[in-house]
Amino acid sequence: MREIVFAGFGGQGILTAGLIISQIALYSGNNATWMPAYGAAMRGGTANCTVHYGEGKVSNPGQQKPDLLLAMNEPSYKKFQGIVRPGGIILYNSDMIGELPPTKEGVTAVGVPCNTLADEVGNPKGANIAMVGAICKLLGDFEYQAGIDGMNDMFRKKGKNKYEALNVKAFEAGYNYVG
Amino acid sequence: MGDMVKGNIAIAEAAVRAGIEVYAGYPITPSTETMEYLSARMPELGRTFIQSESELAAINIVMGVSACGRRVLTASSGPGISLKQEGISYMQQLNLPAVILNVVRWGNGLGSLDASQTDYLRETRGGGNGDYRNIVLAPSTVQEGVDLIYEAFDIAEKYRTIVVVMTDSGLGQMMEPCEYPDFREITKCSWGLDGSYSVKRGNFLGRDIQAESDAYITKVREIRENEQRWFAAGLEDAECVFVAAGMPGRVMEGLIEEMRAEGNKVGLIRPIIVWPYPDKAFAELRAMNPNVKGFITVETNGEGQMIEDVALYAKKNGFGMVPCYAITQACGVPKDDMVKEAFAKIVRGEKKEVF
Repeated sequence: MREIVFAGFGGQGILTAGLIISQIALYSGNNATWMPAYGAAMRGGTANCTVHYGEGKVSNPGQQKPDLLLAMNEPSYKKFQGIVRPGGIILYNSDMIGELPPTKEGVTAVGVPCNTLADEVGNPKGANIAMVGAICKLLGDFEYQAGIDGMNDMFRKKGKNKYEALNVKAFEAGYNYVG
Repeated sequence: MGDMVKGNIAIAEAAVRAGIEVYAGYPITPSTETMEYLSARMPELGRTFIQSESELAAINIVMGVSACGRRVLTASSGPGISLKQEGISYMQQLNLPAVILNVVRWGNGLGSLDASQTDYLRETRGGGNGDYRNIVLAPSTVQEGVDLIYEAFDIAEKYRTIVVVMTDSGLGQMMEPCEYPDFREITKCSWGLDGSYSVKRGNFLGRDIQAESDAYITKVREIRENEQRWFAAGLEDAECVFVAAGMPGRVMEGLIEEMRAEGNKVGLIRPIIVWPYPDKAFAELRAMNPNVKGFITVETNGEGQMIEDVALYAKKNGFGMVPCYAITQACGVPKDDMVKEAFAKIVRGEKKEVF
């Protein structure tokens, strides 16, 4: 069973990034849960959510010891880096986190300039999707195409498929950056 | 398997499919998605959605719709449900059925927005003035929430009583895949008002209160007999039996498997309906395994509320001298490690029993 914590500022697409991963997991035949941290969330405030997926039932959907932390800004990195399980990964936004504060022993930190990558492919709002691509590659649970198909399926069902080509480019940029 | 869907929205859609003709409510976090969803969904199906001016208005609209023999839903969270208690008590006196969704948030007064089970005692003991109980369903997954609210209307009409579906901000806000049941044909209860004046007028005088009470208690006993429901696992050889409902219940379903694999003889009773409490689960346990050394509830509140029911039903079923412990966390989803550490303390004799 996998656990991923997604954290950042409100408006960075944190909750959506978590939802995309959970939908990719379902699309690939897994079970999944998505749980937001609930508070007076707003743009510019902090946001985070926890996703679990795997073959069996997800009994505990809460935040425990994630296999991967996505930290989209520095406060998120500082707040959550301590809960990552030994052997886990911290994926951080190197466009917003300059000098990385010390990482927990046994945890690998991977920086991805997701805002830059998203800008480069002409999808500046797709920084979160670039990170979704990076997560798929880093954890190795979903093949490239399964990730793309699961993501597109979700946006199609929401009637938001007009950005499909741009989303695929952002996903691809993040996926290849860590590959 | 369906797509990811929020608990609040999935439960709203299931109520639509169960045949609600009216929703009336006043918004409150963390239940509002239910109402927001229905504000579009009800008119789409030619049904009625009312955002009332207050919780009091909402529950009185519910009372009116129910008196007409139609299916009706209201949803709120702890503080809003408090305001609805007068109406709920009146509906119980009038034998009017309805389904009420309480997406519980932590605390007294305004409280907070966190997931919690702080309303357990209020919901299971009635809540308003008088001598009544509501049937209280406590789903632990989005799918179970869907299935239970769909059935809740049948149960409410069968006994002409209030059925409360008690979730929390965790289950309300989280997303999980789920499957929806089919649409029910909309029907009207035969006793619903139709405009003609057929009901004898009542007042305070000339009533036989003993007979009224006896009739109500006959119904309560029938509900107690018929509507107990629970999930059980690992009870055959359990030395310690965990009891947990709702979100802590699902956590414990997974955790006892892990703890058993680590060599602990633990079992689980997860009440799915918390009033009437699953008395029979304790009776079956007693017949199957009289060697239980302790009961442990896992709850999200201050010092345990359901622990009182566990102690009462343990005593009733011959476990009178068996200690009952409560592992609590004020809010949120209980962490596996927190439960395991507290369990280890109980085993070492470092944590005192509640009863």
